[in-house]
Amino acid sequence: MDASLIIFFLLGFLTIGGAVFMISFTKVAHMVISIGVTFISIAGLFVLLEAEFVAVSQILVYSGAISILMLFGIMLTKHDASEDEPSKAQPFWLTWIFVAGLFLIVAYGIYSTNWNVLPPRQLDPNVSNVKEIGVEVFTNFVVPFELVSVLLLVALVGAIIMAKKEDKD
Amino acid sequence: MTVTLSSYLLVALILFCVGLYGALRKRNAIIVLLSIELMLNAVNINLVAFSKFGLNAAVTGQIFTLFTMTVAAAEVAVGIAILLAMFRNRDSIHVDEMDSMKR
Amino acid sequence: MDTIMQYAWLIPLFPLLAFVLILSFGRQLKEGAAYVGVLLTGAAFVVALMTFWTRFQEGATDYSFAIEWLRIGDKAINMGFEVNQLNALMLVIVTFVSTLVQLYSKGYMHGDDRFPVFYQYLALFTFSMLGLVISPNLLQVYIFWELVGVCSFLLVGYYFYKPEAKAAAKKAFIMTRIGDVGLFIAIALLFWATGSFDYSEIFNAVAQGKVAPGLITLTAILIFVGAVGKSGQFPLHTWLPDAMEGPTPVSALIHAATMVAAGVYLVAASFPLFLASDTALNVVAYVGGFTAIFAASIGLTQRDIKRVLAYSTVSQLGYMMMALGIAGAAGYVAGVFHLMTHAFFKALLFLAAGSVIHAVHTQDIFEMGGLWKKMRVTGIVFLIGCLAIAGIPPFAGFWSKEEILGAAYAAHRMDLLWIALIAAGFTAFYMFRLFFLTFTGKGNSAGVDKAHESPGVMTLPMILLAVLAVVAGFINTPFAPALHHWLLDSSVGGYIVQKYGEGEHHAASWVAVAAILVSVGGILLAYLMYGRRSINSESVAKGASVLYTLSYRKYYFDEIYEFVFVRLLKLIGLILNLFDRYIVEGLVNLVTAITVGIGALNARMQNGQVQTYGLVVLVGVVLLVVGLTISLTPLGGVLLG
Repeated sequence: MDASLIIFFLLGFLTIGGAVFMISFTKVAHMVISIGVTFISIAGLFVLLEAEFVAVSQILVYSGAISILMLFGIMLTKHDASEDEPSKAQPFWLTWIFVAGLFLIVAYGIYSTNWNVLPPRQLDPNVSNVKEIGVEVFTNFVVPFELVSVLLLVALVGAIIMAKKEDKD
Repeated sequence: MTVTLSSYLLVALILFCVGLYGALRKRNAIIVLLSIELMLNAVNINLVAFSKFGLNAAVTGQIFTLFTMTVAAAEVAVGIAILLAMFRNRDSIHVDEMDSMKR
Repeated sequence: MDTIMQYAWLIPLFPLLAFVLILSFGRQLKEGAAYVGVLLTGAAFVVALMTFWTRFQEGATDYSFAIEWLRIGDKAINMGFEVNQLNALMLVIVTFVSTLVQLYSKGYMHGDDRFPVFYQYLALFTFSMLGLVISPNLLQVYIFWELVGVCSFLLVGYYFYKPEAKAAAKKAFIMTRIGDVGLFIAIALLFWATGSFDYSEIFNAVAQGKVAPGLITLTAILIFVGAVGKSGQFPLHTWLPDAMEGPTPVSALIHAATMVAAGVYLVAASFPLFLASDTALNVVAYVGGFTAIFAASIGLTQRDIKRVLAYSTVSQLGYMMMALGIAGAAGYVAGVFHLMTHAFFKALLFLAAGSVIHAVHTQDIFEMGGLWKKMRVTGIVFLIGCLAIAGIPPFAGFWSKEEILGAAYAAHRMDLLWIALIAAGFTAFYMFRLFFLTFTGKGNSAGVDKAHESPGVMTLPMILLAVLAVVAGFINTPFAPALHHWLLDSSVGGYIVQKYGEGEHHAASWVAVAAILVSVGGILLAYLMYGRRSINSESVAKGASVLYTLSYRKYYFDEIYEFVFVRLLKLIGLILNLFDRYIVEGLVNLVTAITVGIGALNARMQNGQVQTYGLVVLVGVVLLVVGLTISLTPLGGVLLG
C-alpha cells in the first residue's frame, strides 16, 4: 500500500470530519476551530496534489486570515452566540433530500466516468511549482491578476465603510 | 495503488454537500458564511485535482484556485462588514430575520 | 276607381299619428287627448269605409303594393300593403269599433290620472291592428301581431297598481306568447319551404303542390296554434277572462272585437293553406267547437259581469273557428260573417257592461238588479246585444249563427251541429241570466240606488253599435247573400270555390227553426230562474253541485295549469338554480381557488428568506441534473427501461 494513500485517507477524514463537526457543533467558537482543521487538511491535500504554492496560500488565507476574521466577527457580534435551533424557513427533510439527491447524482457522475484515460501530469523536476505559477500569472493571466488586486482594494474600502460606526450627527 | 482522481472528487463532493446543507439550514449568518467557504474549498480541491489529472492538465487550475481564494477573502471581508452593520442596527445576526425587504 | 285603394296605407297611419301626437303632447293635452284619438281614428274610419265601398263595387280588383325591404341571397323580403275583400272588411270593423270605443272612453276614463297614456295605448293598438290586417306577407303580420300583443299587455296592466291587473297582464302576455311561438315556427317553415313570406306566393306554391303535404298540415296547425293563443281558444283560453282586469273599453276593443278576432282573421287570411290539409281543418273545427261549448258552460255560472262576457267571447270565437274548420264556401263565409257581427254586438255588450259598472261600481251581477228604470238607454242596448248574441231574428247574431249551423249541416257535420246548437242554448241562457240579474228585480246594493244613466258621450257609441247589431246581419241573409258572393270572389275565395264549389245556401229550414227554438228555450229558462224566479236557481245549483262547482271553478283549468306547468317550471327553475349555484359557480370557485392557491403558494415561496430561495435554486438544479442524467446517460436507459 502506498504511503500517499494512507496520507490521503487521513487528510480526507480530517477534512470531512472537520466539516461535519462544524455543522453539528452548537457553539460558534467551536465551529470556527473545527473548520480550521478542515482548512489545514485541505492544504495537506493540495500538497499531496503537488500544488505547494496553493497549499501555502490556503493556510495563509483560510486558516489564517478568514478564520481569524470569523472569530473577530463573532466577538464583535455575540460573544456567546450559539446555534441552538436551526432555521425554520423551510422543512428540514426537504433540504436533506435534495442535498442527498445532489450528492447521489454527482457521485454517480464521478463513478460512471472513466477517468483513467487521463494520465497524471508529469512534472518537470527542474521547475519549481512557485516559479511555474509566477510565470503563468505574469504572462497569460496578468490582466485578471491586476483586476483581482483592484477587487481586493474595493472590497477592503467597502468593508471598512460598512463596518465603521455611523456618525451620530 | 495510488490515489485516484475520483477519490479527490468524492472528498470535494462530500465537502460541498456538507457546506450546502449548512448554508441552507443554519440561522447564524457567520456559520452560513463559513459553510459557503467550505463549498468554495470543495471547488478548489476539484480545481487542483484537475490541474494534476485533467484532460489538459496544467498549472492553470492552481492559478484559478488562487483567484478563487482572493475572491473568497474579499467576500468574507465584505460579508463580515455587512454582518457588523446589521448587528449594530438590528441586534441580531440570524439569517431568517434578514427579510426586511419583504416586509 | 283604384285611387282610394292606393291610399289604403293611410288608414294605419292616422292612429300612428294620433299615437305620436299624444305621446309628444300628452301632458299638455290632458283629456283633450281624447279628441285627437277620436278624430284621427275617425278619419281612418272614413278612409277605410271609402276603401271598403270602392272594393265592394262590381268589378273591383285587389290592390297590393310592395317595396323590397331586404334581400337575402336571391330571396327578397317585401314590405307593403294589400286591399282585398277580407281585410277591407276588417279595416272597417277595426276603425269603426276603435273610434266608438275611444269616444266612449272619454266618458268612461274621465278623471283618470293617466288619461293621455290610455289614449296613447289605444292609438298604438289601433295602428298595430290595422297594420296587421293590411299586411300582405306573414313577416309583417308577425311584427304587428307582436305589437298588438304588447298593446294588450300594456292595456290589461293599465291599472298596474292592482296586483290582479299586473298578474293578468303577465298572464295574457305569456299565454299568447306560447301561441306566438307556434306562429313563428310556422312562418319560418313556410319561408323555408316556399322562399317567400307573401300570402299569394305561399298559396301558389301550395296550390302547385310544391310543399310536402305533411309540412302543409304542420304549418297550418302551427298557424292555428298562434291563432289559439291570440283568440283564447282551448287550451290557451285562461288568459282572456283574466284580461278583464283592464279597463272596460279595452275589453270591448281588444278582447272582444279586434285583437282576439285576429286569430280568426289569420286563419281566414291563410285559408288556402288550411284547405290543402283536411287534418288541419278538422283540428280547427273540433278545437273551435269544443271551445265554443266548453267556454259557454263556464259562462253559465260566473258572477262577474265582465267574466261572463269574456267566456262568451271565447265561446263565440270558438264558433268562428269551428265555422272556418267546417270549410266549404259557407263555412268560410260564415266564420268571417260571424266575426263581423260579433265585433259589433260583443263590443256593444262590453260597452253596456262598462256603463253599468261605471254606474254601480261593482262587477258582481248578484249585487246588481233593477237597473232597467234607472239606465233606460243602457238597458235597451244591452237587451239588443243579448238578443243579437242569442240569435233571435232579425238581429245580426241570428243571421251569422244560422249561417254557421247551416254550413255544418251542409257539410254533414252533425256532431259539430249539435255542439253548436247546445252552445247556442247555453249562450242564450247565460246572456239573459246576465240581463235579468242586472236590469230586473230589485237592486240590493248601495251602488244600485245611486246609479244613473251614463253621459251622452258613452251612450252614443252604444246606440250606434246597437243599430249595427240589429242591421249588420242583413248584409248576408239567405235571401240576399251579398257578402257570401263578394267574399268568395276574392283570391282566397277562389281556392275555396275550386275545392268545394260556390256552395249556395241550401240549409234545411229545420236548422234555423231549431236554432231559434234553442235560443228561445235558453231565454225562457233564464227568465224563469232569474226573471220571475219561479225556479229557484240555488236549488238547481245544489241539485247539480258537482257540475256547478266544476263550471264555477272554470273546470279547474287555472289550478291544473298552475300545478302542471307553473310548478313543473318552478321545479326546473329550482334545479337549474341549484345547478347554477353549486356546479357552475362551483367550477368558477374552483378556478379562483386554484388561482388563489397558486398565488398563495408563490407568495409562500417569496417569503424573503434567503435560505428558501437557496433551497429553490437547489431543487431546480437537482431536478435539472437528474433530468439530464436520466435522458443523456446509460443510467436513464436502466431506469426508463
